[in-house]
Amino acid sequence: MDENISRRSFLTKLIGVVFGATGILFAAPVVKYLIPKSSEGGENIFTNADGKPILENEIKEGASFTGLSRSGPTIIIRRGGKLRALSAVCTHLGCLVKWVPNEDVFFCPCHAGKFDVNGANISGPPPVPLAAYNVETANDGRILLS
Amino acid sequence: MFKKIIDAIDRRIELLDLFRQNLSEYPVPAGLNIWYSMGAVLLALFCLEIITGILLLMNYVPHAKEAFASVGYISGVVPFGWLIRRVHAIGANMFVFVLFLHMLSVLLMGSYKKPREMTWVVGCVIFGVTLTTCLSGYLLPWSQLSYWATTVATNSPGSIPVVGDWMVQFMRGSDLVSQRTLGRFFAMHVSLIPFTLLLLIGAHVFLMRRTGISTPPWSKTDKTIPFYPHFVVEDLKVIYFFLAILFAFVFFYPQISFPPDALVPADPLNTPEHIKPEWYFLANYQLLKLVPNEFLGIIVQGLAAGLIFFLPFIDRNNERAAWKRPIFGPLAVFGILAYIALIIWGHYS
Ligand code: FES
Repeated sequence: MDENISRRSFLTKLIGVVFGATGILFAAPVVKYLIPKSSEGGENIFTNADGKPILENEIKEGASFTGLSRSGPTIIIRRGGKLRALSAVCTHLGCLVKWVPNEDVFFCPCHAGKFDVNGANISGPPPVPLAAYNVETANDGRILLS
Repeated sequence: MFKKIIDAIDRRIELLDLFRQNLSEYPVPAGLNIWYSMGAVLLALFCLEIITGILLLMNYVPHAKEAFASVGYISGVVPFGWLIRRVHAIGANMFVFVLFLHMLSVLLMGSYKKPREMTWVVGCVIFGVTLTTCLSGYLLPWSQLSYWATTVATNSPGSIPVVGDWMVQFMRGSDLVSQRTLGRFFAMHVSLIPFTLLLLIGAHVFLMRRTGISTPPWSKTDKTIPFYPHFVVEDLKVIYFFLAILFAFVFFYPQISFPPDALVPADPLNTPEHIKPEWYFLANYQLLKLVPNEFLGIIVQGLAAGLIFFLPFIDRNNERAAWKRPIFGPLAVFGILAYIALIIWGHYS
């Protein structure tokens, strides 16, 4: 009788251990599979939605262009001949801001947040400024951000 | 012939016995009202969603470049595709609406109290999973509306300190809503969630059968009626009533689920104006806008959800009827009114 009980409890534990080990063994690759890969290194080029580089001379004075960079949607405006690059992602809930030239602000259509030309949040719900990037122009006219 | 087959099967596995025990001779209280049929309505709507969902799946392509066109193909080219799609989309809204009614009646009639605490808790989980289903399904057509509503919705955990950004990234599978997000949401929407819901609904019904159906607090009789066919007829009346409303919307006012932004393909570089979530998220959305600090807004919502979830363990008063309770009654009514007010405010703001 006693022997039976210890046998039973041993088998119960054995099942637990086998299931536990199998679970962990299976879970490890699954977790890896699910965790998003971070973006890879290399040059941070400003492109359009299809990944085609935008050339420096395509952005005219006073105009804006929303494209992609490694940090996500990015907006570039040209003022006084100089390019200025900011993250286009509103710091409130992630809608994309638009440049409103006659008001000199970036405007977010989702909850009417506003940012000034340097990206500082000036009105509405956004809690912090837009991230600003340094702009360099490569010899072939491509726009590099950092 | 048919009878012979049934008899032959029954002699072997005694199926009729199960039928008698669980349906035709299963007694339910005689004093039940239409509020007790909401569960049956939900079950019917769930079946409708599964069937229409499987049909949509035959033509839907879960790829950012093709999803929008495939949905257009379903509504425009496939015979009766428009009907299937509308029923699926508007039926989902109806499901959430009836779920609200179901929870409301359970709340006001105090049916969540001992011994039915677990049924309530499982019900709350079903509610949460339902909202996840809606959110994930909303992205699939890959329209401007789905893209940006999903962007905003998946962004809100970002304000949680330390893990927030990571959570946003994990939900999306990338920094922005992208093909990877679509892949995740698609897998969840068509496989993980339906199976989970099925399990949960099974558990919910099982618990209900173990504890028995509650009676309305005012009911005095001990009389019972058989579940089948007497109560089933009562259920059917209510089911057909809601089906009538559903099809009224499907045929005469489908715009309710398909505003103009739903008809434009997603453009990740252009946010349309007036992006608002579906009505069942409007209250949360409005609250997030009202509370100055976003993280605080999330905490308030978490507390409210926790309160509802643990309600049977917090509220141990024996009186079931909410209207006979001087503190709980007004509080519950105030909570419900505040919730509705937030929805309306969110809609018009
Ligand atoms: S997302 Fe820009 S103001 Fe809310």
